[in-house]
Amino acid sequence: MELKTVGLTKRYGPKTAVDHLGVTLTSGVYGLLGQNGAGKTTLMRLFCTVQEPTSGKILLDGEPVREMGEEYRSLLGYLPQHFGYYPDFTALDFLRYMAAAKGLPDRTAKKRAGELLEAVGLAGESRRKVKTFSGGMKQRLGVAQAMLNAPKILILDEPTAGLDPKERVRFRNLISAFSKDRVVILSTHIVSDVEFIAEEIILMKAGRIIQFGKPQDITAEIDGFVWECGVPTGQAERYAASWNVSNLRNEENGTTVLRVIGERPPVAGAARVQPNLEDLFLYCFGGNEG
Amino acid sequence: MKKLIGFELKKIFSRRLTQGAFALVLLLSAILGFSTYQNKYAFDGAGREGTGKEAVSIDKAVAERYAGTLTDEKVQRMLADLVPKTGENEINALYIYHNATQSAVSTRFADRYGGWNGSTVADVFGEGEVTIGYVDGWLSTSRNLVKILILFSLFLMVMTAPVFCGEYGGVDQILLSTRYGRTKCAGAKAVACVLAALLTTVAVLALNLAMAFTFYGTEGLDCSILFAQLTYIEGGIPFNITCGTMLAYQALLAFTGALGVVGITLVFSAACKSPMVALAASALLYGLPVLLPVSEVSPLFRLVVLFPTYHAQFVSLMSVEQMGGGALYALWAIPAGVALLAGGSVLARGIFAKYQVS
Repeated sequence: MELKTVGLTKRYGPKTAVDHLGVTLTSGVYGLLGQNGAGKTTLMRLFCTVQEPTSGKILLDGEPVREMGEEYRSLLGYLPQHFGYYPDFTALDFLRYMAAAKGLPDRTAKKRAGELLEAVGLAGESRRKVKTFSGGMKQRLGVAQAMLNAPKILILDEPTAGLDPKERVRFRNLISAFSKDRVVILSTHIVSDVEFIAEEIILMKAGRIIQFGKPQDITAEIDGFVWECGVPTGQAERYAASWNVSNLRNEENGTTVLRVIGERPPVAGAARVQPNLEDLFLYCFGGNEG
Repeated sequence: MKKLIGFELKKIFSRRLTQGAFALVLLLSAILGFSTYQNKYAFDGAGREGTGKEAVSIDKAVAERYAGTLTDEKVQRMLADLVPKTGENEINALYIYHNATQSAVSTRFADRYGGWNGSTVADVFGEGEVTIGYVDGWLSTSRNLVKILILFSLFLMVMTAPVFCGEYGGVDQILLSTRYGRTKCAGAKAVACVLAALLTTVAVLALNLAMAFTFYGTEGLDCSILFAQLTYIEGGIPFNITCGTMLAYQALLAFTGALGVVGITLVFSAACKSPMVALAASALLYGLPVLLPVSEVSPLFRLVVLFPTYHAQFVSLMSVEQMGGGALYALWAIPAGVALLAGGSVLARGIFAKYQVS
């Protein structure tokens, strides 16, 4: 399966959210990273056909998805960043309704809903109304609905938002197990989530892809640009404000170890360390909010 | 599709505002029906007087004496039996209310003092046979239904307004990305609205008619609406149909009006982002025909009265003309209601199918 964008552009008035984007995705988990406003959510909405591109197209195995209509959407699973729900529906009702909208036969819908509620840890809450759910529970229900139809293309926008560490681990395992022979695109602000499960990283800035590749390949591009150095704890904040610092770690001897991203060592004696995705993110975006 | 319709119905009926508005319609129906019954007054002219149940009993007893085909002989008998006992000092006999039969006969056949005004049955009603009896109960029920059905139309707007735009609060993103989100789901919404509207119409009509049956019985259903007391004359329907026929038309128009209202509201529901805006826009359009400067003699009036507003306020529509075979022009409300529903559903579905989340 090959999901491809050709000159994909989406404009909102004078603002270009996605700018002549061309990318080809095959089976695997893709982590979508970028600052707020980079165009991640718009790109996902375009993939899900809930928004129409201003120009360009999306092709699935060479066929324009717009023309495929229901056939394409039957392959989709989508968890939006912010989504609504029906407050008086139970979790099970919500899933069965979504299953009906996805065209699943009733028997399959019941079975899948049960399995997925179990998988996201909501089996005991299936008869509870969604309005009584916490934010994390609603998020898990959202993940479950996205996977109901065993989609070939699963698109998850900030799926780990509101999940506690244990739930995040459960989610990562669920996605890893699910992703075989499917295209999974997930965007998150939590870089470590992507680092664990994404086979490929897509880094977006101002509607364009600025990095695309395997985590080890794209982080290799800043090999030699990540340093660790110790500074007196009292002065750590001053240093952090003037350098592009990805981490601070207080040591017991009154020093703070800073992880600094820069083309030159920040101080004499700074040790070069192996870059990770977070370092790459900060390198690309200069330490602004991610 | 059946499953989707079931879920859409569940969504519709689980909304608190819908539940509350429907309960209000039923409650007001009960209050209006009961208070009308309790406020009935009658005096038989021979010392028996009462309100509520007693008044209905007196009216029925008086009407029973003259029941059957209205003749000039009966008119004379009624005028003699029911001559006003009060108000001789320049007070018009028409406005001295004793009982429903006295009011009905005085209105058409009495002079200001209660004596015969010289009109014959044929002069007043033409050559057709007019069957008289106790019609006051069912006519007051019909008049109450007009108020209830206007209120019910507002309820239908409250119920239908969130059907599409309620999704725009965030579920739309999920729904529109599903296989049938833009197609069958939208269709299911329209079908569910129609079913909900029909079910609630049945409930409202059933409650009102059941109350009327309990209070007034079946007497008068086979009697003409023409020989009615003074308060039903103004804006009355000028055709010799029975109370039963009139109520059947009114029930039919309740359904056609409901379909039309649903059709209109569905369009605004799909086009507006907020249910409140959709509700306000639908209510405005619903009320608009009443504000149009179109008189009843204008040819345009025949089109204007086919709008759902006039299905609820049914007298104007029922008064347009009698067609062949005794059928009334009001039957045109059926294609009008269906056309509004079909057009509204198709348009709403199209808008929803093309909707882009923002």
